[in-house]
Amino acid sequence: MEVCVHCDEAAVPPIYQKDDVTLAKPFCCEGCLTVYHVLHQKGLESYYEIKNNSSIFKRRSPVEIKSSQFSFLDDDEFIKEYTYLNATGARTMEFYLEGIHCLACLWLIEKLPEFVPGVVSSKLDLDRSVVTVIIEGEGKFSQVAREFNQLGYRPHPLKRNQDAADLRVKEERLALTRIGVAGAAAGNIMIYAVSLYGGAAGEFAQLFNSLTVAFAVPVLTFCSYPFYQNAWNALRNKTLSIDIPISISLLIGAVMGVYNLILGIPDNYFDSLTTLVFLLLMSRYFLQKIQEKGLSASDLHFFYQSESVLRATDSSLNEFIEVHPRFVKAEDVLKIRPGEFFPADGVVLKGTSNLNNSLLTGESFPVKVEAGDKVFSGTQNLTHDLVMKAVNASDSSRLGQLLKNVENGWAHRSKIVNLTNIVSKYFTLAVFILSTILFIYLYQTHDLKHALEGAITLLIVTCPCALALAVPLTFTRALSKASEQGIIIKSDEVIEKLAKVRNVFIDKTGTITYGKLKVTNFKVIRESKLRVQDIILNLEGRTRHPVARALLDHIKDQHAQALPVEDFKEVLGVGVSGTIERSFYEIRKAGIFENGELVCTFDVQDTVRSDSQDALKKLSQLGIEVTMLSGDKKEVVQSIARDVALPLENALHELSPEDKSRLIKNASHSMMIGDGANDAIALSHAEVGVAVMGAMDISLRAADVYLTTPGLIPVEKLVVLSQETMKVIRRNLVLSLLYNSVSVACAFLGIINPLIAAIIMPVSSLTILFSTLVRTTKSRNLWKS
Amino acid sequence: MEIIIVLLPLALLLGATFVGAFIWSARKGQYDDLETPKFRMLLEDKQLKTRKDGK
Repeated sequence: MEVCVHCDEAAVPPIYQKDDVTLAKPFCCEGCLTVYHVLHQKGLESYYEIKNNSSIFKRRSPVEIKSSQFSFLDDDEFIKEYTYLNATGARTMEFYLEGIHCLACLWLIEKLPEFVPGVVSSKLDLDRSVVTVIIEGEGKFSQVAREFNQLGYRPHPLKRNQDAADLRVKEERLALTRIGVAGAAAGNIMIYAVSLYGGAAGEFAQLFNSLTVAFAVPVLTFCSYPFYQNAWNALRNKTLSIDIPISISLLIGAVMGVYNLILGIPDNYFDSLTTLVFLLLMSRYFLQKIQEKGLSASDLHFFYQSESVLRATDSSLNEFIEVHPRFVKAEDVLKIRPGEFFPADGVVLKGTSNLNNSLLTGESFPVKVEAGDKVFSGTQNLTHDLVMKAVNASDSSRLGQLLKNVENGWAHRSKIVNLTNIVSKYFTLAVFILSTILFIYLYQTHDLKHALEGAITLLIVTCPCALALAVPLTFTRALSKASEQGIIIKSDEVIEKLAKVRNVFIDKTGTITYGKLKVTNFKVIRESKLRVQDIILNLEGRTRHPVARALLDHIKDQHAQALPVEDFKEVLGVGVSGTIERSFYEIRKAGIFENGELVCTFDVQDTVRSDSQDALKKLSQLGIEVTMLSGDKKEVVQSIARDVALPLENALHELSPEDKSRLIKNASHSMMIGDGANDAIALSHAEVGVAVMGAMDISLRAADVYLTTPGLIPVEKLVVLSQETMKVIRRNLVLSLLYNSVSVACAFLGIINPLIAAIIMPVSSLTILFSTLVRTTKSRNLWKS
Repeated sequence: MEIIIVLLPLALLLGATFVGAFIWSARKGQYDDLETPKFRMLLEDKQLKTRKDGK
């Protein structure tokens, strides 16, 4: 089988470069071939060399080049909102690029300043597929976008919030600096602490002790600031946080160390405490890093409307300019080309076409519209140009209202009190009671000085270090495992919720099914003069109707030949007809006709994904109740339910987006899986919302988890992974409490000193680390077979 | 043990240098993107052979 030179997908049938027969290379589609030529023209052919020598880390699909001129990128209005003016007068803009997949892409994108005039720099962030372009002087963003498009990367301008971005970068750098300082100080303190444990005495003891205090000062102030801040916020909001007991230990430890230094006693816990600060800062940093993988929620904000549309500039409907959907206003006259989404609600003025409503209503079959019909934002035009007048744009449109509802859902979502915080509540209480008991006990048996020392030591050594380390480490591990498998989880809280899921609601179109029409029951009844596949290729090849696409897809491997067609006619809602080699052929919903006689029958329907039944079965085996929700008609929904062996009472039909979310709000421990805009509200109201691959961007925003691989199998694995992760967390909590009990016992027996604390702390942290790394047998085997 | 008078400041100075270097690199944004630079260094810094604008 031949593989496309450009995108490495199977090329069936291959197309070859026309100009060079001897060296002809196969391509899968015109798009890839065009990009190949563009690269050669520009002297960028090293792209292929680099590509073939590097590993591919994302699968790439064939190139689809948009005809857009991207002229809207040069509008003043657009530039003002989307770009950032540097101090030197250069402008910065960010694009999300579709199709970034390997090292060669990086090379190509960063060569941009060399072949596009006015571009100062072009830097790609491979992790997020986001390129930051800076232009100057005569440079134009429309040209930059056209170049990206020509090279096969579809650009989506991202709205840049410079202040927020700057702040984030600043905070991240500060966090790193804190880690670095804490690490260096902890390492140095250890050197002097070991000398002290080893028996350094006299003036050396005093010198080393002052050095440890000097090193501890920045750690316990600058580096530990986030702990104090969190603890303070928690106290002010009357909530609990693990940072409260940590802050208490750190502060009391600091006071005691300085006090002892003044008295000349070489005794402090700074070696243990600074190492703890270092480890904690690191584990939290990693957890945050892994959650930032992929586009952040704010990046997705304007994503769903990033394709341009044409707006009429005069009343005669002859001249159109490109505008960004963000700037479409009511009363605008717009031309919507096939494949484009409606940016606003409105009325069709001219043209007839088929629409794909599935994203808004869940209907799987295309709907015909003509002049005078109403259209809604979020639906897709499929077959012919339409001219429409916008009535409701942006916030007041159907999609805008859905979006508002989604945001409402987010705002009203119940925040869970996570397990660590519950544990830390009892923990803090227990530590205070124990130290009071110890104080009273020592006061009665010894004196006030002893009692104070004992109580203070107990507060320091019971610092919940292992406890505080265990949770971020375990979540980081789970999130990175999931992201390796293409499951992007937005926050660690989701894992706790996922482990408790009892009710799963699944959307039908696009989630259980492919969301694409497919041909089934294809039967040739009678031999015709022309082969059936030739009829299909020549008649259906001229239309964009989804049924035509499905039929063409069905015969794709059968080498049909192109023939001249006379009197080609397409009647929307009926079918296509034409004369080939003096015979009259028709393709209708019922089948294919030759001179009025039926030669072939077929059904067209949205088919169930091959893994859906399996995935649903596995979910119910976990004791989860699965319900299918759909906006589609009863018969369709029930036939799909039979296909996936779902009881009919669990297959609900003709639901509006609002119905779906109502059902979900009434269920406890709910999870919603969906893809369309019609699921967005439900996704945001469910405790856990999962958006499947191919999901519309609005659902990505509403969801907590999104899958970057097709199918539903990852969902079941995700639930198992979460359950196992919670098991590891509970195990870690028990282990760390165990070590704390040992410290408490030592304190009561009066044998605690900095050396014992310095042994218990690393040992407990190592145990936690080990326990986190080995996870459980079940989670180790999760992605093996 | 008098040698400690020399070694101790030396050790502290060495440590301080590295912490200083780390803080400097963090502030300069060396760790902002941990993914891309490791690939970027593999690419050759060749100028393009043909340039359309002739500049």
